[in-house]
Amino acid sequence: MAEQYKSLHPIKYYRDYLAHGIRPDGREFNKFRPILLNVGSIDTADGSAIAKVGNTTVVCGIKAELCKPKPDAPKCGFLVPNLELPPLCSPKFRPGPPSDQAQVLTQLIADIIENSKCIDLNDLCIFQDKLVWCLFVDFVCLDFDGSVVDACIVSLLGALKTAKLPFVEYDPALDNIQVNMEERKHIKVHSTPVSTTFAVFDDKVILKDPTQEEENLCSGILTVVFKDDELCCVHKPGGSPLTQEELSQCIEESKERTLFIKRLIDTAV
Amino acid sequence: MPVDHKRINGPDETYPYSLYAKTNKQSLNEKHEDIKRTGQRSDSRTFLEHRKIFIKTGVVSQAKGSAYIELENTKVIVSVFDPREIPNRPDYSLKGEIYCEFKYAPFSCNKRRLHIQDTEEKQYSAIMKQALESTVCSHEFPNFQVDIYAMVLHNDGSCLSAAITAAGLALAHAGVPMYDIITSVSLGIQQDNLFIDPTNEEQSICLYPRTLDTDHGNVIISKLHMHNQISQFYQSGNISLEKINEAIGILDKTCEELVPVIQKYLVKHVIRNLKDREAK
Amino acid sequence: MSTSDPLICLPGQRLCLSDKTYTSGQGTYERQGYIYSQLAGYVDIVDKDSVKVVEVHTSGEKTVIPAQGDIVTAKVSVITQQYAKCFITSVGDTVLRRPFRAVLRTEDIRATEKDKVEVYKSVRPGDIILARVLPITEAHNYQLSTAENELGVVIAHSEHGHPMVPISWTEMQCTKTFVKEPRKVAKVVPEHFNQDNLAA
Repeated sequence: MAEQYKSLHPIKYYRDYLAHGIRPDGREFNKFRPILLNVGSIDTADGSAIAKVGNTTVVCGIKAELCKPKPDAPKCGFLVPNLELPPLCSPKFRPGPPSDQAQVLTQLIADIIENSKCIDLNDLCIFQDKLVWCLFVDFVCLDFDGSVVDACIVSLLGALKTAKLPFVEYDPALDNIQVNMEERKHIKVHSTPVSTTFAVFDDKVILKDPTQEEENLCSGILTVVFKDDELCCVHKPGGSPLTQEELSQCIEESKERTLFIKRLIDTAV
Repeated sequence: MPVDHKRINGPDETYPYSLYAKTNKQSLNEKHEDIKRTGQRSDSRTFLEHRKIFIKTGVVSQAKGSAYIELENTKVIVSVFDPREIPNRPDYSLKGEIYCEFKYAPFSCNKRRLHIQDTEEKQYSAIMKQALESTVCSHEFPNFQVDIYAMVLHNDGSCLSAAITAAGLALAHAGVPMYDIITSVSLGIQQDNLFIDPTNEEQSICLYPRTLDTDHGNVIISKLHMHNQISQFYQSGNISLEKINEAIGILDKTCEELVPVIQKYLVKHVIRNLKDREAK
Repeated sequence: MSTSDPLICLPGQRLCLSDKTYTSGQGTYERQGYIYSQLAGYVDIVDKDSVKVVEVHTSGEKTVIPAQGDIVTAKVSVITQQYAKCFITSVGDTVLRRPFRAVLRTEDIRATEKDKVEVYKSVRPGDIILARVLPITEAHNYQLSTAENELGVVIAHSEHGHPMVPISWTEMQCTKTFVKEPRKVAKVVPEHFNQDNLAA
């Protein structure tokens, strides 16, 4: 019977649960789902990681290629993030070009990477004006169950911190490139951004780390990204308004979580 | 090429660094010579030995059925969804359809794959559909379509056969009516060497003839276990009739060897489900 | 069947001969005189008029699609003068993961005085109805019928958004504002209705 009720009146179903101070999956409002991180399991990629936040699963793979820098930034390499939400991960998505949601999330991730400055593009320079690295950072979502950005950022750091680039010798006189495959070096990761997603339900209840169902039913979503002790991105695309206290509360709580996630990433790497 | 405005594009031209590798790598021909001489495959399997297979269902919580398969380094994930209306079809049909999509993750191969399905992936999707069509009872869901998506996370050869085996398992997990359990195995041929379940390297060895008119190629078959039927057969390259007959015999046997693994897993799965239900 | 010791079967497994005593039922198929399983699940043998029907049920969620004659729960989304568009959300007891589109036409709303039926007096968008699936003639469109006493609107909200309770065959009343609105109300029968209930 509960299942029928849920399918007919999903919002009421949630309200009934929330009135008792608990969520349908058994969590309290301020509890996160367990996080898993596994690094380096895909060796066709130069760096890879799989992050699981509850059911949500994201694989991040980094492929490095060589290219010529732009004339206006001769010392800058490239970092190209793309999030794919294939039809495999949820019945919501159809085959074909990326959905709007995938595009929005890709841009958000690109902004987070840029704002947090976790990678200094100058580090990717091999020879000024001639040769730089281009890192293709591809995220593939395997299971879409809410808070995808959180999982992406965790897997991103896992992949970045384990990625190793070969040593490249460049001879400008002959325009000759030689790659020493044996000698590989880590990429410098300058900071550890950690993202936390909140959902606002019925304009008043704030749920941490929402599942897909909760994201669908809620009236607003807030993503807060912390880089060590600094706030580096707050993303709130419309939805129900939050008071200043609520917002500060969310920011405070995501700050607390930063340390935990950092420790998790360090242990995995 | 037109610019893809829906993704973040990198610089126009990039090259994989392995093109400029310093250490002279063994050519594929030399590798084949080595294998011929020692009679050993690079992962010390015998020629007719299948890799160890690891399977798991229920990996995608949002899907009706899903399966993950690992043949050592080859990792494929498949999900199956509830029947839905066939898009763009005005007439009524008594039979349902299946839709298959096979995709490599961008980082799964040695060379980076693009996001858009290329011709190889399209071809593999078609083969997958062919293989699975004959095992799904399509008359049970007239006018509807069951979606099957496969994603290769790590390619180390035999991806397509792994995807078909996993898709069969995912369909069973989803409770889609099926005529039979389906298993699929690949085989690579180069001269007198047959490689069951080839790795990526072995597949490339088998891709080109070493001298004119020698046997070479890759063969994939999918088999319905109980009815002893081959539901799909795909061959590329140039293989003599005798060789192909031999190959089919071997593939057939290897397909049978995989069946108990799938059966055992499914039985365990059913028992677990029934216990869960009782607990409730 | 006792769940403690179920007979487990897999797709393609041969279950038994198909003859006068055993026939193929749900979740099975017949081929060359044998009955085979279509699903990974457990075997259930149902006695039906001296014939044993072999059925297989999956251990997980069933894959169901609405079929002719099924009683379904649907949600009304749009109404016009000729018909009401609905979404089927469950078939019998099974909740669908994906809703199916369906249409309830004016002439199928009521069994009597069909020509006097007006859609807006029978169902409104947002209502939950019980209906029966009519024979399928068009692709992609299930046709529903509520022309039975037990079928029709079961859950509805008034214009002010408050739940309503049925007061007659044709009217429901808002619990807050006490406004009466016309509906084709379903006579809901308890699922396990028997003589004991009557006595009590």
